Amino acid sequence: MVGNYFKVTVRNLLKNKLFSITNIAGLGIGIACCLLILLFVNYEMSYEKWNPYADRIYRPHMDINFGGSVMTAAVAGAPIAPDAAAELPEIENWCRFRDYGSYLVRVEGTGISNFSEDAILTVDSTFFDLFPVKLLAGDKRTALTLPNTLVMSKSQALKYFGTVDQAMGKVLILENEEPWEVKGVYENIPPSTHFKADFLLSMNGNEEVANAPPLWAANNNFHTYLLLKEGTDGKIFEEKFDALSKQKMEETSSQLLGMTLAEFEATGQYARYGVQKMKDIHLHSDLQVELEPNGSFKYVLIFSAIALFVLLIACINFMNLTTAKSTQRSKEIGIRKVLGSNRQKLISQFFSETFIMTFLSVLLALSLAAIAMPWFNELTTRDISIPWTNASFWLVLIGGMIVVSLVAGSYPAIFLSSFDPIQSLQPARSKQGKHGRLRSSLVVFQFAIAITLIIGTMLIYNQLQFIQSKKLGFNKEQVIVIDDAYALEGNLNAFKQKILQEPTVSSATISSYLPIPSSRSNTTYSQSREFRQDHALNMQRWLVDHDYLNTIGMTIKEGRYFDRAFPTDSQAVILNEAAIKILGYTNPVGKKIYGLTGNLQGPPAPDDFIEYHIVGIVEDFHFESLRETIGPLGMFLGRSAGRLAIRYQAADSKNLLKTIEDSWNGMAPDQPFSYQFMDESFGRMYLAERRIGSIAMIFSILAIFVSCLGLFGLASFITEQRTKEIGIRKVLGASISGVVALLSKDFLKLVLISMVIAIPFAWWAMNNWLQDFAYRTNFKWQIFVLAGILALAIAFLTISFQSIKAALINPVDSIKSE
Amino acid sequence: MIKTTNLTKIYQTDEVETTALNEVNIEIKEGEFVSVMGPSGCGKSTLLNVLGMIDNPTSGEYYFNGEEVGHLPERKRSNVRKHNLGFVFQSFNLIDELTVFENVELPMLYTKVPSAERKTRVEELLEGMNIMHRRNHFPQQLSGGQQQRVAVARAIVNRPKLILADEPTGNLDSANGDEVMKILSELNASGTTILMVTHSQYCAEFGNLIIRMLDGQVVTENVVKQYL
Repeated sequence: MVGNYFKVTVRNLLKNKLFSITNIAGLGIGIACCLLILLFVNYEMSYEKWNPYADRIYRPHMDINFGGSVMTAAVAGAPIAPDAAAELPEIENWCRFRDYGSYLVRVEGTGISNFSEDAILTVDSTFFDLFPVKLLAGDKRTALTLPNTLVMSKSQALKYFGTVDQAMGKVLILENEEPWEVKGVYENIPPSTHFKADFLLSMNGNEEVANAPPLWAANNNFHTYLLLKEGTDGKIFEEKFDALSKQKMEETSSQLLGMTLAEFEATGQYARYGVQKMKDIHLHSDLQVELEPNGSFKYVLIFSAIALFVLLIACINFMNLTTAKSTQRSKEIGIRKVLGSNRQKLISQFFSETFIMTFLSVLLALSLAAIAMPWFNELTTRDISIPWTNASFWLVLIGGMIVVSLVAGSYPAIFLSSFDPIQSLQPARSKQGKHGRLRSSLVVFQFAIAITLIIGTMLIYNQLQFIQSKKLGFNKEQVIVIDDAYALEGNLNAFKQKILQEPTVSSATISSYLPIPSSRSNTTYSQSREFRQDHALNMQRWLVDHDYLNTIGMTIKEGRYFDRAFPTDSQAVILNEAAIKILGYTNPVGKKIYGLTGNLQGPPAPDDFIEYHIVGIVEDFHFESLRETIGPLGMFLGRSAGRLAIRYQAADSKNLLKTIEDSWNGMAPDQPFSYQFMDESFGRMYLAERRIGSIAMIFSILAIFVSCLGLFGLASFITEQRTKEIGIRKVLGASISGVVALLSKDFLKLVLISMVIAIPFAWWAMNNWLQDFAYRTNFKWQIFVLAGILALAIAFLTISFQSIKAALINPVDSIKSE
Repeated sequence: MIKTTNLTKIYQTDEVETTALNEVNIEIKEGEFVSVMGPSGCGKSTLLNVLGMIDNPTSGEYYFNGEEVGHLPERKRSNVRKHNLGFVFQSFNLIDELTVFENVELPMLYTKVPSAERKTRVEELLEGMNIMHRRNHFPQQLSGGQQQRVAVARAIVNRPKLILADEPTGNLDSANGDEVMKILSELNASGTTILMVTHSQYCAEFGNLIIRMLDGQVVTENVVKQYL
């Protein structure tokens, strides 16, 4: 019997090629989307799974609102780990990471140039106890115990030394001066880890740790990991840690501010530390100062929903096409029933048909997914592959195939098997009726999803456009940023002067602090020479030179910018409007603020403060992503040689770049030259949004495409059913356009209904998404209209092919069709 | 074999009620060849459908081999059908996607006849109908006469006790029509009961009893020839 079903299915597929292709292609695309997204979701969920201790590792994080700044960051002070381990017996071991950003690295004693490496972490010697990566050479117990020793990943060992063994005992020169001996080589850390580390430097000898103040709420620079003893209840540990944090904050508050924690918190400010599970970091942690950009559980959900929708659209296509074609199958169904087949048998026949189609679709989907994978990886910035040899992958795939067959096949099977044998044996009768209505609702559902996706895509792009064109308070266009400028060492100023001689260069500034992803540090200032919570201003401290304002293009609102004519400017500060607001100064220019010197070891004395006079107010500018509101910021004259920003006036930057690179190579021949355009780096802050935009766009195109496949198939069958009617109408004088309108009208009505459903839903969903942005675009009604027109136009084009064809048939032929 | 008492079938569409069968009482004995005649719309086909158990009567009883089957659920009806009845239609109703061989074989798949026996039976029948050489062709590649012979072969392959034929010669020329009537007569001669609806007096006279219908009622029953 199964053989008979199979034969009929295959012959039916071959007989109705258009139907088969639309059905299989639609379902194939739907399954391919789902497959890609599920692999992505699986990858996102697999973070830290390689680490057998992952469940037992917790990371302390800070949550401080003080002096006008809110910091919720993945870092903590250096003493937190040893303190907590001493107080809480649950802690078995701990390890701290200090991320100092990128380093220039070269091998000692060779003429090979520096590489700029950014996956470098300074870690405690316990690293391998918490992160058991296999050591290919060296001893994990001693590899990181001595000062100025490091271990490196296999890939880096191969890059610098050719083999793992060659690397052992060699010396790398960091930042052109510090020698670090290679004491071990480890297997590359799996990419599904929330940090990247190609080099691990020994924490032993680290001055920051050695000089760290004993107070918790200072020097929050360390990513800290606590390994709990086996069997520890995480909830209880979290509570105990919170209690400890409270006790420590109490000490800090009384020592630094001279008040109790309750008094401090009564001002609306707070300072606390908590712990989070390491396994939650990748998808559930959205803190400042993460080691790597994390994933987002929300986006995992959104992507899954979109994939499910595309699959659902494809399943609906399948139902619609199969039931629409029922007139062609009804005779067979009738005969089978007359010959003794019962309904169950017919249902199982149609399910087996669906299963065969699904199987073919899955084959297609696998090929599509394999082809799209490199591109998909680029889009998601992940390293995902189809696990061809993984048994559970195939089990899930087969399971999925059965589920899809059941979803897509149930309605057709129940519908087709319900045919009355007598009716089905009568010549071609239209079996529209209530099933026609159900089909229409399914089309409405499909298009509602597709239109929602179109609106979503448009709004995402609209928001990105808004960000790009928003008045930022500075000029991001036509600025080249040279990275790692400190590599020029003593030549940096000479280099700057040389570049300034270029006719197209108008100004240049040396600073590590730029309104693009770059160095950030918060420092607390006071309105007086005492440390009081109500006098505090916790703001970003940017070290800049005299040319900064000209080059980056901010506006001075009051007072002036730093000027070489004023030697006292070394003790001057320029604040932004947000900082002034926190200080509450009415005529700020000429007023003073006070900063602390050195590290806090206890309550500061008046002499511990340095006085700065305010010389100017800079208009608020967006130095962080537009997701954040503008925080307080102070600019100080000082040297921070991280980057050189160059403003130029030329349509073509190619020649200028060539000149800059030549000058660089002349002055620092062994140092890597790298640059970025400020507007591009600015755009990179919205990478996640761009990615969402691209994914939403691609999936909406696919959703529309698959919906149109269904519509196309449906239109061709409906047109076929109405062939006789069309003939009669034409005989009676209907024009071609009249016939096209007649056939299109019903479908376009459905698309209109879809719009009515989709618009409020899209509005709600996108409104939610926009809440992530502190600065957001308004909903424009034009977007909804445009999305609607687009959907209508696409639907009309799809249908018109069939309806024009039908309208052009010679009426005699159409009348004969029955 | 067949006995009906007050068999009635009423079709209800929105506001119109059509009585297709109006208290029909007939009896057909095993081995008979009964022809049903009457003008279009008199209820011949409805009678055939109800007796063929592909439709339920609205009221009245239908006894098949002594068992009331008129009000059985579809599941049970299909079971009685596949073991006891064979159908021949005016428009042949072969499945286009199946070959001649597969079409004839199909009923045996539903009655779970073993594969080897299915092959023997189909080949015997096709041989007998003189269409063996067409066994791998699809219905649309055959002439009308050939298609109807395939349909007849399919109707009898499960060796049914009763064959229901709805104008089996209606779409055929006279030569092919004669051929089909000859086959039906031979089947009847070998013991199969036949109930045939026809418009043609000539065909009707192949039977031994002619039932004439008008407006859903049996008007006359003429015995054409008496079996001895």
